[in-house]
Amino acid sequence: MAKTRKHRKIKNKLLFLILPVVVILVLLLVLISSEVAKKSMTAMAKNQLSSSLSNQGDNIESWLQKNLETFSSFKQIIECTHPDEEGLQNILNASYGFNTNCPNGIYVAYPDGRVFKASQSEQSFSNPKESTWYKQGITSVNMSYGSSYTNDNGDSVISATGIINDGTDEIKVIGADVGLEQISIIVNSGVKMDEAASFLIDRSDFTILAHRDSDRISTTLANTDSNKLMAAIADKLNDRDYATTGLKGYQVAFREIQGTDWVLVSYVDDDVILKDVNNLIKILVCVGCVAIILIILLINIVVSRVISPLGHITKHITEMSEGDFTIEIQQESNDEIGVMGSKVSDFIASMRKMLTSINEESERLKEQSDNSDRVSKNMYDASQSQANAMQNLNSTVDQLAVAVNEIAENATTLAMVVSDTRENSNQANASMKETVEISKKGREDMEHLSTAMEGIKASNDELVNKINDVGKASEEITKIVSLIAEIADETNLLSLNASIEAARAGEAGKGFAVVASEIGKLAQNSAASAENISRLIDDVQKAINSVVEQAEQSAENIDANSQLISTALDTFDQIYQNIQKSNDLLDEMVADVEKVDEVAGNVAAISEEQAASADEILETSHHMVEQANSITQSSQDVADNSHELANTSQKLTGYVQQFKIDSEEVDSYEE
Amino acid sequence: MKNNKRMRNLVSILLMVVLSAGLILTGCKSSGGGSTGSGSGIKAIYTGPEADTFKQLLMDALAESAAAEGMTLDFGDACLTINDQVEQIRAAVSSGYDAIICLPVDRATALQLQTAAGDVPIVYVNACPDEQYLKENQYIAVSSYEKNAGEYQAEYVYETLGKPSSLNIVILRGELTHNASTARSVSVKHWFQDNGIDANVVFDDTANWSTDEAADVINIFLNTHQSFDAVFCNNDDMALGACRALKAAGYDLSEVPVVGVDATEAGCQSIADGDMQFTVYQSAAGQGAKAIEAVKGLVNNGSLDGIEGLSDDGLYIWVPFEKVDANNVKDYM
Repeated sequence: MAKTRKHRKIKNKLLFLILPVVVILVLLLVLISSEVAKKSMTAMAKNQLSSSLSNQGDNIESWLQKNLETFSSFKQIIECTHPDEEGLQNILNASYGFNTNCPNGIYVAYPDGRVFKASQSEQSFSNPKESTWYKQGITSVNMSYGSSYTNDNGDSVISATGIINDGTDEIKVIGADVGLEQISIIVNSGVKMDEAASFLIDRSDFTILAHRDSDRISTTLANTDSNKLMAAIADKLNDRDYATTGLKGYQVAFREIQGTDWVLVSYVDDDVILKDVNNLIKILVCVGCVAIILIILLINIVVSRVISPLGHITKHITEMSEGDFTIEIQQESNDEIGVMGSKVSDFIASMRKMLTSINEESERLKEQSDNSDRVSKNMYDASQSQANAMQNLNSTVDQLAVAVNEIAENATTLAMVVSDTRENSNQANASMKETVEISKKGREDMEHLSTAMEGIKASNDELVNKINDVGKASEEITKIVSLIAEIADETNLLSLNASIEAARAGEAGKGFAVVASEIGKLAQNSAASAENISRLIDDVQKAINSVVEQAEQSAENIDANSQLISTALDTFDQIYQNIQKSNDLLDEMVADVEKVDEVAGNVAAISEEQAASADEILETSHHMVEQANSITQSSQDVADNSHELANTSQKLTGYVQQFKIDSEEVDSYEE
Repeated sequence: MKNNKRMRNLVSILLMVVLSAGLILTGCKSSGGGSTGSGSGIKAIYTGPEADTFKQLLMDALAESAAAEGMTLDFGDACLTINDQVEQIRAAVSSGYDAIICLPVDRATALQLQTAAGDVPIVYVNACPDEQYLKENQYIAVSSYEKNAGEYQAEYVYETLGKPSSLNIVILRGELTHNASTARSVSVKHWFQDNGIDANVVFDDTANWSTDEAADVINIFLNTHQSFDAVFCNNDDMALGACRALKAAGYDLSEVPVVGVDATEAGCQSIADGDMQFTVYQSAAGQGAKAIEAVKGLVNNGSLDGIEGLSDDGLYIWVPFEKVDANNVKDYM
């Protein structure tokens, strides 16, 4: 609907733009051509009127001249023949009916008042010498026309008169009458222009000599005439302005008749002239209307034809705006609209191509985000189990610390026992002192151990490699513990030997024998403790193995962890060294029992340090737990993000799939 | 950009048109200005009927003016008939004359003369064809405004007779078909009419420009025993005849004014002798000079612009009449 409405709008717009121009142009055309036609018709009419009048004037002149010549020939005969009265009568009789315009023939007035006329003539002359014709006659020798008058018979006539020049002094006037009606007929029938009229007027006294309206003949024209045209003509005549002119809606032309004082006036109604113009205007208006209608139709057809491809394009663009890129636009014309169609078609093709690749890309993105989601889930799971493992490690280390404390207590107890023993035996005392010294050395060594622990901390990065060493270290610990067990065994043997030596010493050695047996018991207790440690370390090894497995899964994120682990490894190393050193000390204690006290003291200190180290390990493993928890949190976040990413790519795919780029899809959709 | 370019093109075209128009206009002006100098190089011919006193004066004036302008003017043999004149014009055209000065044998044959002349311009002198046969810048007439002659006569008589309210007049016309005859006669009557004077025409007939015929006609008129106050003659010759007849009949010519036209030698002598009272000088010299001027204008510019006396319609060059009476007659003798 909207499309068709738009369609019409363009057409209407064009019509609204073009129609007024066309209408104005047609109107202008009609106006101009009617104006031009009017002017040229008027000019033509003027010319026609002038030429008609000129022709008519010539006719009247020649008519008058012809008559005058007829009369003059009779006059000539009379002048040449000098006839007597009888002769004159014969001549006059001969003139009767000779000229149809003057049927009564000519007549001659004698100075004595007699008038000779043709015998058949009906004319009567009452008082010839006072008559108009006679008075006119004596004003010229050559015959000429005078003014009109009413003769004795009551007819309006004009006389052609002249003096007979026969050489005598007698004045004889010859005359011939021409009826005004005859002149009227000549004037009225001489009009050569359709619808034009003429009249003849004597300018000397304004008498109308000939007129279509017989009532006007012989009347005097004045500018007070009731007929406005006649009044205006009277004014013109009065001014002797004989130029062809427009008067009161008429075109009027004047012509002076040669040899007389007469003026022939001819006029034609403007309406008559403009009748053809009016017809022309009517035809022009009709043609103009038809032209306008034709132009409207033409515009309709042309615009429809030009715009129809535009309609298709508009439809396609609308479809396109709804996301359908499956449309195909044919180039229907070779004009701008055709080009537009083909360009839209190109655009659709490139859009389709682009959308296809976006679609593919988002598909791939989705897969990738799914993958990363899965991976992050795995990571989360891994970190979860790592955290659990750390928890386990923590508790194990806790137990380790407890065990170490026990060792320390035992060592203290041992030291106290040795101290008690020192008082009882100098040798033993001395030996114990040596043992203390050795213990001091061991403590220094333990300080080294601490330094080494810091080194362990520093070399965090080597966790992954070193964590494997933890296993070895654990094995070594196991060995160490077994060594401690051996030491305990040897100590036991030593105590046995000491008992034997004490027994050999006899009474003096009885107290020592008691000590030796106590040492033996202690050694047995140490062996038992070492066994416990060995067992615990086995557990640690297992836990570490588990940690190593988890740590390998989240290699980068547990750098700190590995640092701590390496620290622990180092610490364990140091413990190993320290214990080796204490072993040396114990060796020396074996060599010198008196040093046992110091050794026992050192052992106690070392054990305390060991306990502190164990505490540190505990703390570290707490950190590790926290770290593992934060790793878990992070991997949770990663999982969330990658989930979100997966969602986003899902959405993107959804959006892209809103565009129809596969025509089959559309077809199925439309079905 | 495109629009600007189009605009520039339009402007440049406009400028070109304006400039070239200006160039053409100024060019026209300068060429017009350059050629108004002299009539040298122009070849013209005069054709006319047998010469009478006035015509001879006219021919002399033409020859003199042409010589003064440096123009070649040839005089054809006097034409007795229309045929002679048409032949003469044809021959002149084929001989390559630039213009024809023509005193028509018969005014009514102007169209035929013009056909014979083809594209060669004709300057009519003295006797003018009807207005419809004249054409601006092609067929023009140099003459005196005939009606002035009659008006001058009527005015003089009216003044001389002491401004009467009515008077009886006698008119002697030239040939009845001659336009000068009609114009001069009618203008006398019209002058009185227009001035509210009752002029009763007691005699009005032709004497064919002839002195003897005029005397005869006056004698016949005298036989009618009508009283009259003045005699108006269309030319001096007829006036001389009228004077002769009236004097013979014992009239005192100082009381009955006889007036003529042309100021011929005999006419002027008669005025000097106290017979004729008044005449109108039709300047043969003036007409001759204007005719030569017209030829020069038509041949050089195809136009009569700037010539004094040119009528509004461009068909006539009017050479003014001059009044001649006893006071100034010496100037014309």
